[in-house]
Amino acid sequence: MVQGDVLERLREAIVGDSSLEDVEEAARAVVESGIDINDAIHAATEAIRSVGDCFEAGDIYLPELMIAGRKMERCMSVLRPHIKAAGSSVQGGRIVIGTVSGDIHDIGKNLVATMMAVRGFDIMDLGVNVPPLKFVHAAKDAGADIIALSSLMTTSLPYQQEVIDVLKETGLRDRFYVIVGGGPVTPEFAESIGADGWAENAAAAARLCEMLMTSGEKPPLAKTVVP
Amino acid sequence: MALNRERLMQVLDRAHSGPICEPFKWDTEVIPQTIAAALKKYDLVKTCDPDNPVNQDDDLADRFFQAGFDVAVEVGMLCLDTQRVIKFSREEIQHGLDAAPAEFTLGEGKQKVTFRHRGLEDPFPPVWVAPLSIAVTEDLFIPVVEGIVRESVVDCLEGPSLQTIWGSKLRAGSPYELLAGKLQADLNYEAIRRAGREGIGMYAVGTAPTHYGVLGGYGIPGGYKPERDIVLLLTPVEMKTSYEVLHKLCQTYNCGGITYGGSWSMIGGYAGGPEGAAVSCIACTLLLYTAYQASNGASFPYDMKYMGNCGRKAQWALGVVFQALSRNTHICANSVLNQTAGPATKMLLYESAVGMMNLAVSGATSCTGPRTAGGKFTNYITPLETRFAGEVFKACAGMSRAKANDIANRLLPLYEADLGKAPKGKSFPECYDVERLKPTEEWQRIYDEVKDEVIKAGIPLN
Repeated sequence: MVQGDVLERLREAIVGDSSLEDVEEAARAVVESGIDINDAIHAATEAIRSVGDCFEAGDIYLPELMIAGRKMERCMSVLRPHIKAAGSSVQGGRIVIGTVSGDIHDIGKNLVATMMAVRGFDIMDLGVNVPPLKFVHAAKDAGADIIALSSLMTTSLPYQQEVIDVLKETGLRDRFYVIVGGGPVTPEFAESIGADGWAENAAAAARLCEMLMTSGEKPPLAKTVVP
Repeated sequence: MALNRERLMQVLDRAHSGPICEPFKWDTEVIPQTIAAALKKYDLVKTCDPDNPVNQDDDLADRFFQAGFDVAVEVGMLCLDTQRVIKFSREEIQHGLDAAPAEFTLGEGKQKVTFRHRGLEDPFPPVWVAPLSIAVTEDLFIPVVEGIVRESVVDCLEGPSLQTIWGSKLRAGSPYELLAGKLQADLNYEAIRRAGREGIGMYAVGTAPTHYGVLGGYGIPGGYKPERDIVLLLTPVEMKTSYEVLHKLCQTYNCGGITYGGSWSMIGGYAGGPEGAAVSCIACTLLLYTAYQASNGASFPYDMKYMGNCGRKAQWALGVVFQALSRNTHICANSVLNQTAGPATKMLLYESAVGMMNLAVSGATSCTGPRTAGGKFTNYITPLETRFAGEVFKACAGMSRAKANDIANRLLPLYEADLGKAPKGKSFPECYDVERLKPTEEWQRIYDEVKDEVIKAGIPLN
C-alpha cells in the first residue's frame, strides 16, 4: 500500500463510522509501512481537527465528538511509542484531567478532554469527584505535563486551590502546569490561586495547552495564561 | 404527601441489580441513539422553528411527549455509583405520573402557596421561586435574601448559596457542607423575619450540591421543615442518578417530606440538537416523577453555545417541553430560566421577559430563577431583576401563545446577538444600597425603561 493510501485509511478510520479496532489496525499499518510518524500524526490530527471544527460549527454533537476523541486516543496509543524511535519533533503532551472533589458534573470535563485529544494530547481522565491527592499521584505516576481541573460549583472551587497547595507542599509544583476551568471559574480566580492557565471553553482549553507546551517556560508561571 | 416506601425500595434495589452500563457507552451510544430513533419514529427531526420561539402546534407537542415517554421506558436512569440502569416499565412510569399531585402547597400560615397544574394559556397564576443558588459572600447573604423576599411577587425561597461558612471555605461533600445546611436555614430565617415573611416555603438546600447539606439542614431542629419545605433532588445529565441524590431521597422519606426533581439537557450535548434536548427533557421529567416521586420539578433545556436558555432555539425547546408536559400529564412542572447578562443591564431584563412569558403561556406551574449572569459571579444577584421576572411571569398568565410568540419576536432582536458575550453588569453592592435595600438610581432607571418597553411590546405589566 502506498503512503497516501495508508494515511487516507487512518484519516477515514478516525472520522468515519469505524470501530476503535479499525483505528488501531489502521495505525498499526502506518507503523509497519515505515512512514514517518510525524506525517502519520499530522494526518490523524488534521482528521480529528475537522471533527472538532464540525462540532464547533454545530454540525455534530457531543457524542460524535467524544467517540472521535476516543479514536484519536487509540490511534496515538499505537503511534506514540514510535515517536522517540523516529526522532520526531511532534508537539503534544500528557494531560491528567478530572472534575474536582464534591462535584459530579462531567459534561464540561468530557468536552474539554475530548478537545484536548483532538489536538493530539495524551489524556488521562480521572473522572469526577477526584480528591486533590489523587490528581497529584496520578500526574506523578503518569509523567504528566499538565493537570487540568474542572469545577461546576462554587463549593467545589476550593479543591482547585487545594490541588495546587498539595503540589507545593510535596515539592512538585514545578513539575506540572495546572490549568482550571468550569462554570464559576473566572480568570481572576485562576490568578488568585496561582493556576498557570484558564480557558473560557473547551476549544480555548486545548489551545491553552498548546501554548503552555510550546512556551518554553517552566511551571509555575508568574502570570496565568488566558488564550 | 409522604413518599411511598415500596416505590423507594424498588428504585434502590434496581440501582443494585439493573443492567450494567458504563457512562461512556451511556453518553455516546444509549442516549443519542435512543433519542435519534424516537425523533425519527415521531417525525420530529428538524422541527425546531426558531422564527416562532413560542410553539403553537399542539400536535407537535404531543408527539414530543410520546417520543419522550418511549425514551424514558427504553433508557431508564443510570446510577453512576453502581453503573447499573434503573429501568421502569411503561405502566410504572404512568403510575408515577398518576401518583404525582396535581396540586400541593408549600409554606405555612399567610405565606402558604398553592402549586397547581397549569394548562396552556392558563390564567391561574404561576408560582415564582427565587433566586437560584448563586454564590454570595456571608456578609451579604442576609441582605440579599431579605431584599428578595421583600418582593411580594416572590412566593418561595431557594437560593442564594453560601461560599464560606463562618469565614472558612465551604467545600462540597465535606463536613463544612453539613454545617452549611443548617447555617443557610438560620440565615434564611433571620432574613425572612426582617422582611416579615415568616412561614414562606423553601427549597432545601440551595447551597448543598451533595447530600451532606440536606442531612445537616433538613428535618432537624431549627432546620428546614418537612411539612413546609421541599427537598431539591438535582439529577446529573442525561438521565443519571447517584448515591448523593438517592441519599437525599431517603432522607426526605425518613422525614416525611416531599421532593423536587430537577435536571437539564444541553442543546449540542449528549442529546443532540434542540429537538433531541426537548425529548431528553421530557423523558427525564417522567423519570424524575417516577424514581423520585417528585411533587414539583422537571428537566429543562439550555444551549451549550452560550450556557443559557433565552435564545431562540432554547426558547422553542423550552416551550415544547412544558407544553408537552402540560397537555399530557397533571404534574406541577417547574422550570429554571438561565439568563446570561448581569444586574443593572437591560439584557438581563429582556432575557427574563421572553423566558418567563414563554413559560407562563406554555403551562409551567412554577419557575425558579433568576440565574443572573449565568450564576457565574459571586454577589451578582439583586432583588430588582427578581421582581421583574416574577412580575412578567404572573402578568403573562392567560396570554395566548400566538401573542407571546409575537412579543418574543419583538424582544429577541434586542439581545440575541449578545448571548455569547453578555454583559457582566454590576454586583449587588455596586447597584444596591445594601442598608436600605434600594436599587441605585441607574438600576432603577434601567428597570423602569425596560418595563415601559415590554409594556409597549404587549406584556401587561401595567
